[in-house]
Amino acid sequence: MLSYLLRRVPSALGVLFVASFLIFLMLRLIPGDPVDALAGQDATDESRQAIREELGLDEPFWSQYLSWIGGLFRLDLGQSYRIGGSVRELLANGALNTVVLAVTALLIAVTLALVTSLVAVIRDSRWLNAMLAGLNTLGLALPTFASGLLLVLLFAVVFPLLPSGGTPPDGYLARPDITVQYLLLPAICLALPVWAGLTRFLTESLRSQMRQPYVTTARAAGVSRRRLVIRHALPNALPSTVTVLGIQVGTLLGGAVLVEQIFTWPGLGSLIESAISGRDYPVVQVLLLLSVAVFVITQLLTDVLQAWLDPRIRIGGAR
Amino acid sequence: MTAVTPPRPFARLRLLAIAVALCLMSACTSAVGEQNDRGSTGDPVDGGTLRVAAKTDLIPKSVFGQSSDGGNALIGLVYDSLVEYPHDSLEPRPALATSWKVAPDGRSIHLELRDDVTFHDGKPFTSEDVKFSIQTIADPAWSVQLQRTAAAVTGFDTSDPHAITLKFDRPLSNILDLLDIVPIIDEDTFDQVKAGTGYNGTGAFRFAGWKPNSELTFDRFDDYWGGKPHLDGVDVKIVPDPQAQASGLRSGQYDLLLGTTARDAETFGKDKKYAVLDFEGATQQTYVGFNLDNPDLKDVKLRQAVAYAVDRERILDEVYRGKGIAQNLSWSPSSPAYDEAAAHHYDRDTAKAKDLAAQVGKVPTLPLQYIAGDPTAEAVAQIVQANLADIGITVDLQPVEYAQMYQRLVGADFDGLWIFGHTYAQYTPATLPVSAYPFNAEHNASNFLSDQYAEHADAAWGAPDPDGDVAEDAYAALNADMIDNVWLTDLVTFWPRIVTSSSVHGIDYTKRTELILRDAWKDQ
Amino acid sequence: MMRPKAWVGLGLVGFVVLLGIVGPWLAPYGPIDQIEGANLVGPSSAHWLGTDEVNRDVLSRTLSGIRIDLLVVFLAVPVGAAVGVLVGLVTSWWNVTDVITQRVFDVVLAFPTLIFAIALSAFIGPGVWTIALVIVSLEVPVFGRLVRTSVRSVREMPYVEAAQVTGAGSWWVLRRHVLPNSLEPLTVQLAVSMSVAVFIEAAMSFLGIGVQAPHPSLGSLIKDGTTLMYDAPFLALGPLALVLALVLGLLLISQSLSEAHRD
Repeated sequence: MLSYLLRRVPSALGVLFVASFLIFLMLRLIPGDPVDALAGQDATDESRQAIREELGLDEPFWSQYLSWIGGLFRLDLGQSYRIGGSVRELLANGALNTVVLAVTALLIAVTLALVTSLVAVIRDSRWLNAMLAGLNTLGLALPTFASGLLLVLLFAVVFPLLPSGGTPPDGYLARPDITVQYLLLPAICLALPVWAGLTRFLTESLRSQMRQPYVTTARAAGVSRRRLVIRHALPNALPSTVTVLGIQVGTLLGGAVLVEQIFTWPGLGSLIESAISGRDYPVVQVLLLLSVAVFVITQLLTDVLQAWLDPRIRIGGAR
Repeated sequence: MTAVTPPRPFARLRLLAIAVALCLMSACTSAVGEQNDRGSTGDPVDGGTLRVAAKTDLIPKSVFGQSSDGGNALIGLVYDSLVEYPHDSLEPRPALATSWKVAPDGRSIHLELRDDVTFHDGKPFTSEDVKFSIQTIADPAWSVQLQRTAAAVTGFDTSDPHAITLKFDRPLSNILDLLDIVPIIDEDTFDQVKAGTGYNGTGAFRFAGWKPNSELTFDRFDDYWGGKPHLDGVDVKIVPDPQAQASGLRSGQYDLLLGTTARDAETFGKDKKYAVLDFEGATQQTYVGFNLDNPDLKDVKLRQAVAYAVDRERILDEVYRGKGIAQNLSWSPSSPAYDEAAAHHYDRDTAKAKDLAAQVGKVPTLPLQYIAGDPTAEAVAQIVQANLADIGITVDLQPVEYAQMYQRLVGADFDGLWIFGHTYAQYTPATLPVSAYPFNAEHNASNFLSDQYAEHADAAWGAPDPDGDVAEDAYAALNADMIDNVWLTDLVTFWPRIVTSSSVHGIDYTKRTELILRDAWKDQ
Repeated sequence: MMRPKAWVGLGLVGFVVLLGIVGPWLAPYGPIDQIEGANLVGPSSAHWLGTDEVNRDVLSRTLSGIRIDLLVVFLAVPVGAAVGVLVGLVTSWWNVTDVITQRVFDVVLAFPTLIFAIALSAFIGPGVWTIALVIVSLEVPVFGRLVRTSVRSVREMPYVEAAQVTGAGSWWVLRRHVLPNSLEPLTVQLAVSMSVAVFIEAAMSFLGIGVQAPHPSLGSLIKDGTTLMYDAPFLALGPLALVLALVLGLLLISQSLSEAHRD
């Protein structure tokens, strides 16, 4: 297991390294000077020069890049140009919100996907399948912003039952009942496409498992359908489902950009937008690298998890 | 197949779902209901926290320079100034200074200061703080709008802790603008300002905390010299999307919105549950600028044609919902330099515009730049584009990010036409041609250089009395410069509007649209 | 025999495509014509979908906006797919180029699409070409990967090895054996990618980094509509329905293709 993991790590690190260089290079080619964003409308040349020196922007490209990478290894993510505070604190703030939202969405999506797929395959009734397939396709086809706006319109404006956005005023832990209400709409909105993709895949895998010869044999021997689905089809369908889930998790941060915008959720998605428009290089480059890292690590974990669930991969060393 | 097995696991799930639903409906509190509680109206009551939704967050490194909703709230709540202009005039009233007198030669001002004021950390307020505050504003590193004026204050007599004499190196007709704008800050805690960790002022509310991109919190300052405020505190949430602000007010999450669009404000105004405040006197201006470095815009006839072609009335009515005035001049109607005839010199005249454009000959496609993602700027740009199409001029719309817009303004680097906002129209007239980037006679965003204009700007700045005859003559000359040269043409002068829930009372604001909440209160 | 699902999908896509092609001739106004006095009026016989904030007929804008999405769907996706297939075919044949290309694909695919789009629009400015570029950059690695899998599996086949021993060129093998084998998954992926492309156009324009004023696209029309959700909820409905129809139709087609492939 460990050797399998070790084999995968170098290429993941390679991706991260190349990405870090590309990100750093790209941001410096973008038109627009952070000094202007900071200095404002009526700045004099002296004040602009003072800001430039303070930010270290007068140093050559390579030394800026190396000092950034060096800082990353020491967990020093740099100082935000605009806000002035350390990027790490700024990120920690937004990251907590995004993680809470993403994890909640993921839990909802996975739980619902398991329940709906299992019910659909166990019951195997025509109208239930048709209904689930319809819901499923709709979930895949409904753009996040559309579902988000519909949810806000329905549950916050027409029937003011839930808050239209924002995070719980006193933090997540103070009042769990309030927290649930703030989380519900954005999490459902973010979970919807993940649920739809996952359910579709899992249902198909379970069905194809149920067509296998061993199932027919077991059925003939009197094993109940429910037992067959849960004990036999599910474990066999899980490894490939984990891969699909891994891909979905990788796209979650992208989806969070939209959801956070609609529900004014102060997370990483809204942070990256404001950081890019403010030319806040230190924040943008860390965020971009972070999003790549999340993807790479998710892929790594997915592969490991899949290998763990399916020994053939581990032993056979399939690439 | 025959389903013999009872689906027990799902029965259990169903129970769980019912339990959760019951909990949501009864046992637990609703986040919405909790925020919708409203009582009766009457005399001011103490207590409660005002929840404000703001569009843009504080930027500590330029807190005194570039304006943002968060920064404006901070300065309005935490700090006081020496004098305060009322919204609709340039006759200052006392604040931290009780009285003031400008010397007959116009080269110094003496101010008597309050002796009963302390900062939030308990330190007494003295004339040394005034000196430090003005010198900070004069430091180019902060790039404050009035930096040039502050830098002209060169002498400080602080021998009396409760009085100060400021000496200037030239006569300053706009010294009171400076004293209205400069927030009085504390030197000892100043290193916290740029870090965003502490703001020590003398205002009615104390800075309690800042979560970047999320919220600013303030609590009541019990020892405020103007009396204890009614509100316990103020929470400023950063909500960039106007739509989200509007739905947050409807669902009772916020009490006051700083970033509504004109149309939302209009809709709220029709509903008794909300109140709309027009910041009359704190006007802002939207204009079309021309970069004279673009060879196509060198000919003043073309610029005049554009000035005649734009439909200011339509922009005012449709985009700003009629709250303001349509005029081509760069002053507020309350400004001493405002001139009714000059303000309507370029009232829409399509025939004249066509005629002028024809005299120029064939005009190539002109780029028009505006702030990307700003619905108001986008609507104005599209109307201007259609107006110019009517006189045969093709315009290519180019949305530019806010950060780049600033860069181009500072560097006088727009491609051709641009639409942006300017301020200072509501202040002493000299402040505009001396300080504002679009107007600065030494170097402006249009690359318009004229010795005559520079001379007139200097005359207005040095005039002994901003309302006197010398000044009046300078203003008339400046107006003629603007009309003749059209390096930019104003479109509308409008009032910023804020929307509150009707349970909020006693909101006031400064001439720079900073909230004043010392007398504000909320129904309990 | 075609499934009903496929018919519904084809019908939905065909309907939108037809509207996009003939719509602008049927439209009562030009997409950027400003009609005097018609400021944000509700649906009526004169303006079926109402007018927007700058007095333009929303029906005419919607019909014209479809074309942007068609351009994105039927131009950007096939271009990205073609480039991806070509790159995948050529590079995966040799180990060195294969490793390099796959790592490049890894890096590109590691960026969440919308975050990549925001960064790119800061770099080259927002607009329809930015959308196209985002879609192409996304599709090249997706299709490149897909083809690579077939190349790798076909290369190991005994008959291909035999053909190579007898002197068959690499190109011949690629054209003769690899392409036909990967055709089915490619068509399924093409339909999926097209629906994703509609999604990307709408999301980018919704975030303000897509099609810019005054020109309409389905996404920018939805954005315009949602900023006026309370005053004029009718504005976003038409474009929203069309986006849904297009995405749904393409999804149904891809689903029925892959089901047909499996059966």
